[in-house]
Amino acid sequence: MATNILSIGQSALTAAQVGLSTTGHNIANASTPGYNRQVVIQGTALAQNFGFGFLGQGTAVSSIQRVYSDYLGIQVQSAQTSKSGLDSYYAQIKQIDNMLADPASGLSPALQEFFSGIQEMASNPASIPARQAALSSADTLVSRFQSMAGRLDEIKQGVNSQVLSSVDSINTYAQQIASLNDAIGRAQRATGQLPNDLLDQRDQLVLDLNKEIKTTVVKQGDGNYNIFIGNGQPLVVGASTSKLSTVASPTDPSKIEVAYQTSSGSTVIVGESGLVGGRLGGLIEFRSKSLEPAQNALGQVAIGLASTFNAQHQAGFDLNGAAGGEFFAVASPVVGTNSGNTGSATIGASITSASALTTSDYRLQYDGTNYTLTRLSDNTATTFAAFPQTVDGVTLNLASGAPAAGDSFLIRPTVNGASAIGVTITDPAKIAAAAQTGAVGDNRNALLLSALQTANTLGNGTASYQSAYSQFVSQIGNKTRELEVTSSAADKLLSEATVSLQNESGVNLDEEATNMLRYQQAYQAAGKVMQIASQMFDTLLSLGR
Amino acid sequence: MRISTQHLFDSGAARMGEIQSSLAKTQQQVATGRRILAPSDDPVAAARALEVSQSQSINTQYGVNRGYAKDSLVTVDSTLASVTELLQNVKTTAISAGNGSLGDSQRASIATALQSSLGMLLGLANTRDGQGNYLFSGFQTNTPAFSKDPVTNVVQYDGDQGQRMIQVDSARQLAVSAPGQGVFQGGGQDMFQTLNALITQLNTPGTVGLSTALATANSNLELALSNVSTVRASVGSRLQELDALNSAGDDRNLQYSQNLSDLQDLDYTKALTQLSQQQTTLEAAQKSFAKIAGLSLFNYL
Repeated sequence: MATNILSIGQSALTAAQVGLSTTGHNIANASTPGYNRQVVIQGTALAQNFGFGFLGQGTAVSSIQRVYSDYLGIQVQSAQTSKSGLDSYYAQIKQIDNMLADPASGLSPALQEFFSGIQEMASNPASIPARQAALSSADTLVSRFQSMAGRLDEIKQGVNSQVLSSVDSINTYAQQIASLNDAIGRAQRATGQLPNDLLDQRDQLVLDLNKEIKTTVVKQGDGNYNIFIGNGQPLVVGASTSKLSTVASPTDPSKIEVAYQTSSGSTVIVGESGLVGGRLGGLIEFRSKSLEPAQNALGQVAIGLASTFNAQHQAGFDLNGAAGGEFFAVASPVVGTNSGNTGSATIGASITSASALTTSDYRLQYDGTNYTLTRLSDNTATTFAAFPQTVDGVTLNLASGAPAAGDSFLIRPTVNGASAIGVTITDPAKIAAAAQTGAVGDNRNALLLSALQTANTLGNGTASYQSAYSQFVSQIGNKTRELEVTSSAADKLLSEATVSLQNESGVNLDEEATNMLRYQQAYQAAGKVMQIASQMFDTLLSLGR
Repeated sequence: MRISTQHLFDSGAARMGEIQSSLAKTQQQVATGRRILAPSDDPVAAARALEVSQSQSINTQYGVNRGYAKDSLVTVDSTLASVTELLQNVKTTAISAGNGSLGDSQRASIATALQSSLGMLLGLANTRDGQGNYLFSGFQTNTPAFSKDPVTNVVQYDGDQGQRMIQVDSARQLAVSAPGQGVFQGGGQDMFQTLNALITQLNTPGTVGLSTALATANSNLELALSNVSTVRASVGSRLQELDALNSAGDDRNLQYSQNLSDLQDLDYTKALTQLSQQQTTLEAAQKSFAKIAGLSLFNYL
């Protein structure tokens, strides 16, 4: 019987030691990201029948479990992915918002100074200094357009490099999750127990992956995580992964697109709809919904100003009596020929009505008989069979070659408007202030030029230069504001989900201190049991003395 | 309910971070005096402010334009005042030339005086403004308005009928020049011709046709004076209009400034109250966090 008591005491001692170790592990990892507290699952050892009844045989530790709720975990992941997406969109658009923040450095003061310069010239049409001042203010305006376009281009380059780094991270996480799938499976098969810390690491990696892109996790019967992104493209299946890569856009080489490598080895560009949530989703959405429209909007103001001003300027006569020339250099539309086209067609595009221009880009597709031109901002399609064709102020024609069925082109009418605007005139005498030839004091054309400042020349006669620009500022401001609000709502959602999960799975140090005391006392008591057993044994031995 | 210790620290840090960032924003608003630090703070007002600032800039430019218009009109007016004075002198001289006691030589010396008046009149008609532009030659501002043939003494107009306009208000263009032909040779007379005819008559010995010529000259001078005063009246009324527009423009400028200030500027009282409120909240959050974070069972073990 005494040996039995000794082994009961020893089982209690072992259980208390396991308890203390686990408590220590919990305390040690209290601030480890992704750590879930572990508890000792302890039960009575199999009792022995002695005829008079079952005598307990002490205690046994059956397993060490982590406290984790898959349901809450998934909630945290999905809250995290939308929060990261909004945050990355917000961080990008805030740069544009900040660029427009200072009223003294925006386009407005340059626009106002330019027209003040034109008015000064209208008041003093024969004065060379007044004409020179008007030219200088035009140079200032043009360089303001260019510097704003340059800043937007910098942001675009920034998006490209962040897309690259995000894709790298996604691939790394996928690789790590796949190796953990493998390690967890092997540990489980070998021991029949779950490797808690590896499970934590894998869940943390899935959370980190969700910071980059929204994923769908499908837990398999064998404990593996299969992970899908976008429209169901598998990223991790068991211990194997598929890779994301980056390629230059087929219609715009300056733009990096995300591509998916299929199992057959080919790469397919993942459309915007396939890249949602997370940092990557936020970047892609920012680029298509805010950055490109911003470049186009600024370009629209620049092209609108340059062409309407040119038209009026060409109606007048300069100080030498010659007819007015082009005052501003106007940017041309950019046509991107899809690198996958099989036909030889080159499409030409020119602006025929600045007033009808929109801020959208257009996709031109050829199906073998008809062309379909789709306005990308609202997917309005125009179908036609022959060139030339004019849509929204842009005239398209077949510059050379012939298209093949399935060919496509990306037409961006105003994208370069702000970066390519210039002042063509360098000689102040060449400004056409007069309405008739040979009249140096004639300022009638100059008056008409200065009246353009408030005329509704853009957006089919609904907007002045200033109001088109204000519209752009207000769009950026509104979107930034909206993201500020939705991002803070997503933050609340994430923190609520995290709190729920943490409250269940996180370590509470007071609780651990209590457990420590509990196991310490259990250990002391077990020792006492063993001491008593030993004394009993001594009593038996001393009987024979 | 169990609470994870890490969450206690995380949420404490997050809350303090939130208060700090709103405190920083209020501080920035106070430091710049601007309510709208970026368009996102109030997109509607930010866009509106751009429009109002354009209106204000245009209004200011109209003020500058009115300055130019006034300069030109004042020069025209003072020149025409001199012309009026000269014509009145000529008229007095013409009347005195009708005195029957005068002899040929005396009339000839009057003619000489009138000759210099003619030169003066031509000078006045070819007045230039501050920038060297001829006032009365229409759009031909670098061509003298009138030239005199050295042989026939006939004065002819070399300008055109262009009338230079300046935009003085959003819907008002004001004529700031008067084509010289209408001023000096309009209203049924030609001042130069009148003077030339008078001089020729006075240089002619004898008194044949003298009284008729003097009467003609007199009535022509009357016409000329009335023509000049008509032009001057119109210039005067334009100057008056400029004054009225100036005061309206000043009022509007004030309104725009007020408008911009309402849209963009900070309400300091409100902002400073908010600042101290946020300060108090932050202090409270810091103090309570330090207290709660210090609570641990381990302190007693």
